[in-house]
Amino acid sequence: MLEIKPIFNALCRSKVGAVLLLIQIAITTAIVSNAAFIIQDRISYLNQETGYPEQDIFKFNVMTFGTDINLSQQFELDETMIRAMPGVVDAALSSSIPLSGSGSASSFNLKPAPQEGLSVRAAYIFIDDHAINTYGVNLIAGRNFTDDEVLVTNEITQKRTNVTIVTKALLDELYPGGDGLGKIVYFGDLPLKIIGVIGKMKGPWLKDSKPDNFAFIPYIKAESYTQVAVRTEPGQRAAVMKEIENAMLANYSKRVINNIRGLDELKNEYTAQDRLMMRMLIVLITILVLITALGIFGLTLFNISKRTKQIGTRRALGARKSAIVSYFLVENALICSLGLALGVVTAILLGKMLMQYFSVAALPPSYIAVTAIAVFLMSLLAVLAPAKRAANISPSIATRTI
Amino acid sequence: MFIHYLDLSWRSFKRTPLVSFLMVLAIAIGIGITMTSLSVYHMMSADPIPEKSDQLYSVQLQTMDDGSTWWTEDNTPLQLTYQDAVNLVKAPSPERKVAMMRTGFSVYLDSDKIKPFIGSARMTTPDFFSMFNLSFLYGGAWSKEQEDSAAPVVVISQELNDKLFAGKNPIGKLINLDDASYQVVGVLKHWPLNIKYYDLNNGAFNKIEELFMPFSLIKAKELVSWGNSNGWKHENTPTFADKLQSEQVWIQFWAELNTREQKQAYQNHLVAYMQEQQKRGRFNRKELGYKLRDVNQWMQYNNVVTEDNKILVGLSFMFLGVCLANILGLLLAKFLRRAPEVGVRRALGASKRQIFLQHLVEVAVLGFIGGMLGIVLAQLGLMGVGQSYNYYENLATMDLTMLLSAPLIAITTCILAGLYPAWLVCKTNPAIYLKSQ
Repeated sequence: MLEIKPIFNALCRSKVGAVLLLIQIAITTAIVSNAAFIIQDRISYLNQETGYPEQDIFKFNVMTFGTDINLSQQFELDETMIRAMPGVVDAALSSSIPLSGSGSASSFNLKPAPQEGLSVRAAYIFIDDHAINTYGVNLIAGRNFTDDEVLVTNEITQKRTNVTIVTKALLDELYPGGDGLGKIVYFGDLPLKIIGVIGKMKGPWLKDSKPDNFAFIPYIKAESYTQVAVRTEPGQRAAVMKEIENAMLANYSKRVINNIRGLDELKNEYTAQDRLMMRMLIVLITILVLITALGIFGLTLFNISKRTKQIGTRRALGARKSAIVSYFLVENALICSLGLALGVVTAILLGKMLMQYFSVAALPPSYIAVTAIAVFLMSLLAVLAPAKRAANISPSIATRTI
Repeated sequence: MFIHYLDLSWRSFKRTPLVSFLMVLAIAIGIGITMTSLSVYHMMSADPIPEKSDQLYSVQLQTMDDGSTWWTEDNTPLQLTYQDAVNLVKAPSPERKVAMMRTGFSVYLDSDKIKPFIGSARMTTPDFFSMFNLSFLYGGAWSKEQEDSAAPVVVISQELNDKLFAGKNPIGKLINLDDASYQVVGVLKHWPLNIKYYDLNNGAFNKIEELFMPFSLIKAKELVSWGNSNGWKHENTPTFADKLQSEQVWIQFWAELNTREQKQAYQNHLVAYMQEQQKRGRFNRKELGYKLRDVNQWMQYNNVVTEDNKILVGLSFMFLGVCLANILGLLLAKFLRRAPEVGVRRALGASKRQIFLQHLVEVAVLGFIGGMLGIVLAQLGLMGVGQSYNYYENLATMDLTMLLSAPLIAITTCILAGLYPAWLVCKTNPAIYLKSQ
């Protein structure tokens, strides 16, 4: 029925075209499966939960050049003013902004420096008791800072802060037994009691090896250059962002307000390169599949025109149209299967190479399998149109010219 | 003869417009994609200062205690401590060296015409301008005396001068930075730098600074770094003076070493310096470590070209390979269909060589048209790249090398692809076709 043997024999007589197609299919399979894996990896990276209502939070920078004020007093006034603005949920001076790609990290130790003990690296933010509400994160155990636990200063002082709120990820790494709440952790030689635990909260660097290790430390250092984080009611952010500069300058004018940015916007900037890579790969594989389909389409067309007489003769001898179509489909399936077999090997090799030279994870076989099936279906589709045209060749063509 | 071949190609093109169009399209897309990723790669890896990139060395010192490790591949901190930077700048050799750091100020004039804004500043020593081949529109660098006395002087960029003084000569005028006023002593000419190689601290493709000021002002004004400050051990640094004395690394340092001898001498100098510091209890490793990396080595060490980019370049060349296989198949189809015509031409006296050349010319024409169209596609691609990532704006362009190499790559690869079909067709035996005509 499928006449594989004669088709195969015919193929062997004009090898080059078939071999080229086979190579195309092989490389396409290799590229598409690897690229699809990288794309999927980036998509899940870009869409990961960060723990923040990103759409409702924005930040801005304040650079004060006037010297006729007490900075910490001024910032108290500013915070009160911003918190009272319509549409604002809460606001806080924040030493750095999560997801922005800039921040501070330190090791958190079980013993005070310089003693050696378990040491875990984590990012941290100096912020006041409005931290949890401003960033909209979930306190899953313990309590928030109280007002008198927050140290506000712009002078060198002997007074030091002594509590902290950490993410569950950091707590579990410091105290794997699950009994960390209420225990002490050392920030350098400074003992901090862990009074609260937050469920999910990503730090400043999503690409960090430990992006979930993050801590709030209740300390406000009033400096001439600071950042403020603000959370608004859903849908109110744009309006508040527009007003914030004037409101701040109206409060005190000898300063510059800039870098007014949404948290989602900051995250987008941080991940811009990954989105670019994802898009370029999507374009690449889409076009690649189209080009390969085009190649199959072209070659089949050529084969048909070369075999017009042969097809006509077959038709004249009584072959059905469906037999002609199935001839080309089977021929294509043969080439495609060989190409896919080669493609699977190439895909595995390419994946190994990417893993060896770059930080790309191992390519799961499922990606190769799905790609192979998709390429196979695509090739059948590309053959179908020209094959139908071949089936419509009139038997008279064959009889006329011989 | 060549013109005649061109004419023949054009006729052949017209005779099979669909197949020819498909081939041109395949080349164009292949070249377009390859050139897009290659251009970005090319701009990222391009030598930013080719005239002396092998004479400028970034200096790294191994300041960490024995047993401490750093995240860099060779375990060496990327920047210097303040004290080392100051000591090395003060040393008599080499002739030109520079210590520097990025920071920022609120900028305003005494008039109300311009709203205060934040300007980024590079605190640096006066050799900066001559070392990195910068030229001045007005004025010049501050003097050694001004550097030593932490004079309130500033060199501004051409762009900032346009903004503040409408491009007029501002030498001697004052601008306010934070809480003090500074005298403008120089205006730089526009500095078109794609890769901020001299400070890769916060993004290799960040904008260059608008203000350049004496390094000594760091201490005088207690300026904090707008880049990374890294420590490797716990140090309590409540005051700024403590920070200046600490082992924290936050200063970038470059030396200009023009000859091999100078480089050797400087290496000896660094070792001697570390030995001297050893007496004060610093540099306590068994082996004194230092690194001198020239501009290109420095960029490579800091991974300026990202992994993603290398992967993309690799994949797009494979993609070009697919396009070529495609073209080869189509060419084969097209040329072989023409065998009867070639048979007649051969019978009429055309040599194999002529037939072969004719077909190669046709292929080259296809490659040329495809290459041109490919450049257009690459421009579109680069526009997309530039828009999706504003850091890439300057990088997402094709320079002359890339513009010229696009059609060249297209024609070369097409000719390579066309060799086999052309050879096949010129082997045509005229007898067969004469018989059946």
